Amino acid sequence: MDFTIRAATLEDCKDISRMILELAEFEKVSDHVKITQRDLEQDGFSKNPFFHGIIAEVPEHLKSREGHTKVGYSLYFYMYSSWKGRAVYMEDLYVMPEFRGKGIGKALMAKVSQLGLAAGCTQLNFTVLDWNKSSLDFYLKQGCWDVTSELGYHCMRCEGEALQHLAQGEL
Amino acid sequence: MRFTISAAKPEDCKDIERMIMELAVYENMPDQVKISHKELERDGFGPNPFYHCLVAEVPEEHKSKDGNTTVGYVIFFYTYSTWKGRTVYMEDLYVMPEFRGNGIGKALLGAVAKEAKDQLCSRLQFSVLDWNKPSLDFYMAKGAEDLTAKEGWHFLRFHGMALDNLAQEAP
Repeated sequence: MDFTIRAATLEDCKDISRMILELAEFEKVSDHVKITQRDLEQDGFSKNPFFHGIIAEVPEHLKSREGHTKVGYSLYFYMYSSWKGRAVYMEDLYVMPEFRGKGIGKALMAKVSQLGLAAGCTQLNFTVLDWNKSSLDFYLKQGCWDVTSELGYHCMRCEGEALQHLAQGEL
Repeated sequence: MRFTISAAKPEDCKDIERMIMELAVYENMPDQVKISHKELERDGFGPNPFYHCLVAEVPEEHKSKDGNTTVGYVIFFYTYSTWKGRTVYMEDLYVMPEFRGNGIGKALLGAVAKEAKDQLCSRLQFSVLDWNKPSLDFYMAKGAEDLTAKEGWHFLRFHGMALDNLAQEAP
């Protein structure tokens, strides 16, 4: 299938927002999505962006059933490993179901890798839910490894009241 | 015990490098540390740093057995959740063993949480090794959630040849 991979622009935020919700629905947590198209515009396209985006687009004659030509995206940002230095974190990777199996997901991920390597990164990191077998298989087949299973690292989070108390030095 | 928490300066990178290695030894992975104070200096200071760092210092009269007054550090950076927006990731939090129990770890953690709130971040995320019970207990007591145990999130990683191979497939 004919498709292009390119850097996301401000105008893409509407479609990115749409696809973020589609991905959240797949992960069974669409009520967790609190950010809007406006947040993406402000946080991704200001002087010091919090993230970068890549879009997969198909030509008009291959558009989706609902008329979309922007059919996949990846959001990533730079991070730091105190052991290995510069790294890139892929926050989301998504291709609309009707466009899967055509190499689009792999092309998006490959682009993030290429940009990461060009910026001096030695790792591409991301997270996957343990029940998401199709994604786990996809990634493991490309040669990545499961740091949680192999080394025992657990993802931890403080938010809401817990974060508030920490910030106020109350706990 | 009196101590101060302040933003790291380039001159602190030798101490940060020392303490990164101490933490890696504790985590049984000292051979995994590949960066030195040179990369820390290059990547942590300037207009677009890859990370931020706070250091804990004690006065000269409280210096360590080895003569160090820089006795703890925290490395963090800004990340993005496509569900909740701006977040902070805490890469390392460490206090030299002889200075523990004086509230230094709590103060470093609180300082990062405050920065997170000031920058309108809704989450503070980090990882802990599953066998590291003292750390798990420390964080859980402060209201942290273990997302790996609770929701099944796993960290996955591409590095080395697998990352190079992936990047070569970028369109």
